[in-house]
Amino acid sequence: MRTRRHWLCGVLLTALFLTGGWLEAEAQDDQSLAYYRQAKINWRQAEGQSLTIGLNKHPFTESLLPLIPEFRKLTGINIEYLILPENEYFTKLVADLSQQRGEFSVIMTGPMRNWQYVPPGWILPLDDFLNDPKLTDREWFKLDDFYPALIAANRWNGKTGGGVGEGPLYSIPVLEESYILAYRKDIFDQYNIKVPTTLEEMAEAARQVKKNAGIPGIVARGTPAIGTVATGFISGLKAYSDGKWNELDDKLAANLHDPQSVKYTEAWVAMVRESGPPNWANMQWYDAMEAFTAGQGGMIADADFFAANYEDPKKSKVAGKVGYALIPVGPAGKTQSGLWTWALGISKATKNKEAAWLFVQWATAQQTLLNATIGYRNYNPSRISVTKDPRVQEIMGAWGSGSYLKVVAQNLETARVAWIPQSERTRLGDIWARALHEVYFQRIPAADALKKASGEVDKVLKEAGIR
Amino acid sequence: MSKQWRRHWRRGTFLPYLLLAPAVVLLAGMVYPFGLGVYYSLTSYWLQYPNRFRFVWFDNYVDLLEEPLFVRALEFTLGFTLVAVVLQVGLGLAVALFLHARIPGRAAIRALMLMPLMIPPVITALMWKIMMASTNAGILNYALSFLGLGPINWFGSTQGAIVSVLIIDTWGNLPFVALILLGGLQALPTEPYEAARVDGAGPIAMLRYVTLPLLSPFIVLAVTFRAMDSLRIFDVIYATTTGGPNDATTNLQIMAYQYSFQWYQMGKGMAQAIVLLLLVVIVSYLLMRLWNRASESAQ
Repeated sequence: MRTRRHWLCGVLLTALFLTGGWLEAEAQDDQSLAYYRQAKINWRQAEGQSLTIGLNKHPFTESLLPLIPEFRKLTGINIEYLILPENEYFTKLVADLSQQRGEFSVIMTGPMRNWQYVPPGWILPLDDFLNDPKLTDREWFKLDDFYPALIAANRWNGKTGGGVGEGPLYSIPVLEESYILAYRKDIFDQYNIKVPTTLEEMAEAARQVKKNAGIPGIVARGTPAIGTVATGFISGLKAYSDGKWNELDDKLAANLHDPQSVKYTEAWVAMVRESGPPNWANMQWYDAMEAFTAGQGGMIADADFFAANYEDPKKSKVAGKVGYALIPVGPAGKTQSGLWTWALGISKATKNKEAAWLFVQWATAQQTLLNATIGYRNYNPSRISVTKDPRVQEIMGAWGSGSYLKVVAQNLETARVAWIPQSERTRLGDIWARALHEVYFQRIPAADALKKASGEVDKVLKEAGIR
Repeated sequence: MSKQWRRHWRRGTFLPYLLLAPAVVLLAGMVYPFGLGVYYSLTSYWLQYPNRFRFVWFDNYVDLLEEPLFVRALEFTLGFTLVAVVLQVGLGLAVALFLHARIPGRAAIRALMLMPLMIPPVITALMWKIMMASTNAGILNYALSFLGLGPINWFGSTQGAIVSVLIIDTWGNLPFVALILLGGLQALPTEPYEAARVDGAGPIAMLRYVTLPLLSPFIVLAVTFRAMDSLRIFDVIYATTTGGPNDATTNLQIMAYQYSFQWYQMGKGMAQAIVLLLLVVIVSYLLMRLWNRASESAQ
C-alpha cells in the first residue's frame, strides 16, 4: 500500500511538472508571438499552405533559419527552404524564374539583381500587398522605419538605363551594405600615418604601412569577377569623378575607357601592385576580409558590415584596433559610396502569393530583424529602429572607439546604387574586372584594356537586345 | 494470352528484343541528353531571355572563332594536357618501377600511395590552396624558406597559377598512373628478362629494350586515360583559380561553365562544350589506335 502511494505521488508530481513546463513554454510562445499579434491582420489566413524559400549562403540566412519555427507557429504555414552558394543559387534561381515553375515562392534578391527579373515580369511588385489592409497592417509594419536609401534602391520603374528609386517596390531589404574604409588605427598612430582622404594619400598610406609594419598596405578583392569592381573600387571611382561618371552613357554605350576612369584605374592598380598582397588577383571577398581580420592588411575599402568580423574578439586579431573613415574622395571632395541590400522578393509564378507575402512581412518585421541582429549577428541593420536599439548600440557603438556608427551614418547620407540599371550588369562587371587583370599584369596599358572592355560590353548589350 | 502469343513466346521470338531492351534504354538515356546538347548549341538559348530563343545554325561556333578567349582557352587546354600527361606518366613510371623492386615496406608504401585517389578532387584542391598561401603563412612557402627559396606567389601570378594547378592535378592522379603501370609490370613475362640477362644486358639496357617495349600497351592506356581527364579538367581549377588570374588557367571546360552558368548563355556554352567533346573524341581515337598497335607489337 505504501509503495503504491509513493508511486501515485510520483505520477502526480511528474504530471504537475510536465503541465507546468508546457504552460511555461506556451507562455514564452505567447510572449514571442505577442509582438506579431499586435498587427491588425489575420496571420492564420493562409494556414496549411506551403512555401519554399530560395536562400543564398550568407550570414543573413544563418540568422533567419533559427527564427523560422516562430513563423510556423504564428501562421500555420509550412516552410521549406533551399540554401545554395551564391553562384549556384543565382543560376538555379534564374532557371526557376525563367521557366516560371514557381519552385521558389520567396527569393533572396536585391536591387541590381531585380534588374534581371523585373523586365520579363518574373517577380511581383510588393505595393499591392503593402496597400491591402487584409494582408498588411502598415502602422505596425512601419515601412518608413527602413533607411530611405535602402527602400529607394529596391524601387525601380523598369526602364533600362535609369529609374532607380521610382516606381514599384520589388523587394524589402533585410540588411544594409555600403562601402567604407577600414584601417589599422594602431599602425597608423604608431607611424604617424595620415588617414587618407584622396586616392593619392591612400596610396601613400599603403606604402607607409608596408614599409613600416611589413604587411600589405591595402587588401582588396581581386578575382576576375564583378565583385572586384563592385564595392570599394566603383565607390572610389564615383567619388573621384564627383559622381558624374557612369559605366554606361545616356545611349547605353560603355564608358569604361573614359579618361577619368583610366586615370583612376592606373592609380588604383599601381597602389595594389606596389603595396597590396601578392595574391590580390586570386582574392575573393572573404579572402580579403579574412586577411584584414588576421592582421594582414593596413587598409581595406569594402563593405561596412565586415566590421562585425573585424571586431569579433573570438576570431579577429585586430578587434579594437581598427579605425573607420569614408572612402577617399576625388578632387571634388564628396563621398559617393555604392549601395547594396540583400532583400526578400516574391516570384510571380508562386501559387501561394498571400502566404509568401506573410512570410516577407514577418521576416522583415521590426522584431524579427532585431532578433536576427542581436541573436545571430545579422549586420548592418536595414531598419533605423534596430540600429537605435540600445543592445545593438552597445555592440556596434564600440567599434572603432565609437567612430564606426558615425561613419556609416554619414556614408548613408549620400550612398546609392552605383550602377546603371540593365540586365547584363554582372557580365559588364566580369568584363571590367578582367580588364583590371590586364592592367595589373601589365599586359596592356589601362587606356587600351578599358577601351577593349568597353567594346566587349557594347557587343554583349547589343546581343542581349539592351542597346 | 492468346494461342498465337503463346506460340511466339515458346518459339522465343520476343527473346532477342527482351534481351536488347536494357541496352536500348541505356542508349536512349545517353543519346537524348547528348542530342539535346547538340540542339541547344545550334540555338540562341539564353536562360535570361526566353523570348529570344531562336535556331541559329552554326552561329555559336562561328562566334567562337572571333572570341579571343576561345583561342587562349584552347591553347591552355592542349598545352596543359600535354604537360600534365608527360609529367604524370613519366613520374608514374618511375614510381611503378620503384614499387616493383624488392624494397622493404613495399606493401605499406603501396597502400599509402592510394590515399590521394580516395580524396575527392575538390577537397584535394582546397587542401593545396591552403598550403599554397602566397606569404609564409602557407606551409609550402614556409617549408621552402628553409631551403632558402623565397615565397612563391602560387595563385597570384599567371605562371604560378598554372604550375599550382599542374602540381595539384599531378598529386591527385599520379597514384592512378603508377597503379596501372605497376599492374603492367607485374604481368610481364619473365623469359625475355632471362634471355636478356644471358645476353649480358645491364639494368638500363633491360629497361630500354625489354621493359618499355613490353609495357608500352599499359603506358598508352595510362596516357589515354590521363589525356581524356586532363582535356576536361574542371574541379581543381574551379576550386583554386576559377580560371584566373588574367584567364591564365581558363580551359574550354571553365569557359563553357562561365558562359552557361555565370552568364546564362546556354547555347554558346554548349557549343564550347561540344568543341571540347570533339577534341576528346579525336585525341582518344588516335590514342586507341596507338594502343592497338602497341599491344600487337608487344605480343
